[in-house]
Amino acid sequence: MKILFERTGGIMGSKSVLNIKLEDLPSNEADTLRKLLSDADFFSLSEDLAVHPSPDAFHYTITVATDTIQHTIHTSDTTAAQELRPLLQELSQRARTLRRP
Amino acid sequence: MHTCHSIFCITPPHMLQEIVRNGSATQRDIALRTLITSEQFRGQRRAMKTMAAFMSAAAETGNKRRAVYDAKLGSELPGTLVRSEGDHASSDPAINEAYDGSGITYDLFFDIFGRNSIDNKGLKLDSTVHFQKGYDNAFWDGKQMVYGDGDEDLPAAERLFNRFTISLDIIGHELTHGVTQYEANLAYWDQAGALNESLSDVFGSLVKQYQRKQTASQADWIIGEGLFTSNVKGVGIRSMKAPGTAYDDPILGKDPQPGHMKDYVRTVEDNGGVHINSGIPNRAFYITAIELGGNAWEKAGRIWYKTLTEKLQERSTFQQGCDLTYEAAGELFGANSLEQQAVKKGWAEVGISVAGDAPSGCLSTVLSVFGISLRAEK
Ligand SMILES: [Zn+2]
Repeated sequence: MKILFERTGGIMGSKSVLNIKLEDLPSNEADTLRKLLSDADFFSLSEDLAVHPSPDAFHYTITVATDTIQHTIHTSDTTAAQELRPLLQELSQRARTLRRP
Repeated sequence: MHTCHSIFCITPPHMLQEIVRNGSATQRDIALRTLITSEQFRGQRRAMKTMAAFMSAAAETGNKRRAVYDAKLGSELPGTLVRSEGDHASSDPAINEAYDGSGITYDLFFDIFGRNSIDNKGLKLDSTVHFQKGYDNAFWDGKQMVYGDGDEDLPAAERLFNRFTISLDIIGHELTHGVTQYEANLAYWDQAGALNESLSDVFGSLVKQYQRKQTASQADWIIGEGLFTSNVKGVGIRSMKAPGTAYDDPILGKDPQPGHMKDYVRTVEDNGGVHINSGIPNRAFYITAIELGGNAWEKAGRIWYKTLTEKLQERSTFQQGCDLTYEAAGELFGANSLEQQAVKKGWAEVGISVAGDAPSGCLSTVLSVFGISLRAEK
């Protein structure tokens, strides 16, 4: 399973990107992500949840692909459902660790 | 012609507002009627709304109501109420910064522009601190301000961001998004979005300058001073004085802001670069304020405030931002006044010329027929 995560906007208008393959992660970390995806009911979320842009909020695009299914959603800090937020936070924190040189 | 009470006839609206708030009953009455008459005379679109606001401001002087909530690193808004208006200071600096910062922002808008809170009707100022874990951001969600703690969850050597309440101008920036929502309601994409962003930086910076009692030339014109940890090579997130120079860091990259139309950035990200191209109108404001000297909130700030509350509309462009601030300067200070010339110069230096260069403002044009110059207002 692959996850492509993009976060744009925010008060700095910057962009962070994360591209991960669950198979490459330690199994406990991969399990955490699988659980977050399942808690969010990711594959049944509607595609566009970011209807009206809010000042300085982050915008998120997440694509999850398995061998059989691929799904992309767009959402934001102000429009994301509570069930999706732990996943957004986890992916944001992971993307941040990439910024080390 | 309408009846004219000598002094009030040539008194600018902001002084009339002061009189409405602080004058004797008779003075108030005359000032109010003058305001009503002159607003109608000018036929401005928000005349009646403005009058209602003056009257409510007069009735509710000092109606400042703040509430700070704690999200406790979660994402439920607003979270737990931790400080209300008049409560003692907390031991948590983020709570106090959100409380004090929204208070100073309220004061600038009230003291200088006669505005009673975000909606001009005394709306309660709600802020949430400690939003999520490792949340490097602050935003306005349409109802309230929200602040993250930056990189609080990382080891000190890896942290780039401090808590977002640390910069007073960030608080002023977020609160101003609320004011813009209730006034021009600028769209949040492309040039209208960049104007929206710029207005938040303008009034955010003015809040900081007002608190520090700094003149335009003393101010640093940096947005987000103190937001970066010492691990970052940068002084803040934006520079209104020299867009594009606020940071240049191996991890964060270089500040992408242009300071001139020739460097305008076309992108689909960040809602069409609203935080990037805002450098252009930011610098126009900075140059105008420097040209005028003294405290930036007194003249440049008043011109931009009038433009925000009476002229800009949802889809306004940079060109309209230029034309309308020029028009507002003409109405406030007179056609061809030094103030109006300063506005023109501010925009010219970022590559935008006033359209047509026509004498501005219906009121000044009509008054000039009667030999009255608005220059006498000052
Ligand atoms: Zn903003």
